[in-house]
Amino acid sequence: MKKFFTTALLFTVSVTLFGMEDAAPAVSKSLFEGQFLAHLSLAIAAVGCGLAQGKAVAAACEGIARNPQAAGEIRTTMIIGLALIEALVIYALVAAFAIK
Amino acid sequence: MEHHASYLAKWLTELFHLTRYQWEGFGILQEEGHSVHEYFSVLERYDHLLNASLAVLVTLIIATWVRTRMTKIPNPLQQVFEMVISGLDDMVKASIAHHAERYLPFVGTIALFVFFNNLFGITPGLSPATSNWNVTLGAALAVFCYYNFHGMKEKGFWSYWGHFAGPVAFLIPLMFPLEILGLLSRNLSHSLRLFGNIAGEHLVAGIFFGILPLFLPIPMLFLGLFFGLIQTFVFTVLSIIYLSGAVAHDH
Repeated sequence: MKKFFTTALLFTVSVTLFGMEDAAPAVSKSLFEGQFLAHLSLAIAAVGCGLAQGKAVAAACEGIARNPQAAGEIRTTMIIGLALIEALVIYALVAAFAIK
Repeated sequence: MEHHASYLAKWLTELFHLTRYQWEGFGILQEEGHSVHEYFSVLERYDHLLNASLAVLVTLIIATWVRTRMTKIPNPLQQVFEMVISGLDDMVKASIAHHAERYLPFVGTIALFVFFNNLFGITPGLSPATSNWNVTLGAALAVFCYYNFHGMKEKGFWSYWGHFAGPVAFLIPLMFPLEILGLLSRNLSHSLRLFGNIAGEHLVAGIFFGILPLFLPIPMLFLGLFFGLIQTFVFTVLSIIYLSGAVAHDH
């Protein structure tokens, strides 16, 4: 599975690199300045955020299933935690806005 | 990110024949060195202030309406407000041990302000003021000043700032700058979280409107309502947590 993901990532990156080179030959702007990296950084941040939030919600669900009486407190804590995790992606989003 | 004025600002500009001036580009999100000059009227340029004032006005009108018609058998709107206030009261009392009721008005004001501003994201013709960093930073700085002031009031000046120095004397040069940096960067995370969420949500809703304006944006609008509520909750809870950290006595 890891090998598959590595191959897919390499494939995507290489296709994007070579494809972009073909599409815009006259523009002197390099690929690694500008929006491409901003969008890539947002994607990477989203991957991490997705994994982390999935883990958090899974643990919260398990906790609620084991002890349904504590559902309210667990939910509140989970929402705060989710917001803190999400904030990291939001920083990437703001950075993606800021880079033009 | 270029500036899009709300339709309210554009409409008012047309209605009152306001002059459009050439303004320089917008805020921190403008690219450095390449200032873009566009034509905005005063209302379009300070769109966030217009929308924030409108949110304050709407909040005041609703609150006054409810307050003057308060009865023992509550009407529906009063019930909603009682639910909100008692929920906020529970939240404040759960985190702050002493004199929690003292902090309820400020926390409630911040919550209502943020919530009504977020709601403007799904109101046609308006744009949420919280999708502008200036507004959220203002709210975050208000919270910052408030909890520092009350921390100093509760504990005294030296006792409050002494907490940032850590437990051991020889660690003070290391601990104090770090703690102060942490305290200041709270503002950044506190304001950017709200701003990024609402701005991103508004942007995505706008893109969906661009694709197909008929039925496609409806899920995004529901999501906007939900996110607006969640972000209000998070902003309020974090304010309460900072406040409780500042005013807590250790005994």
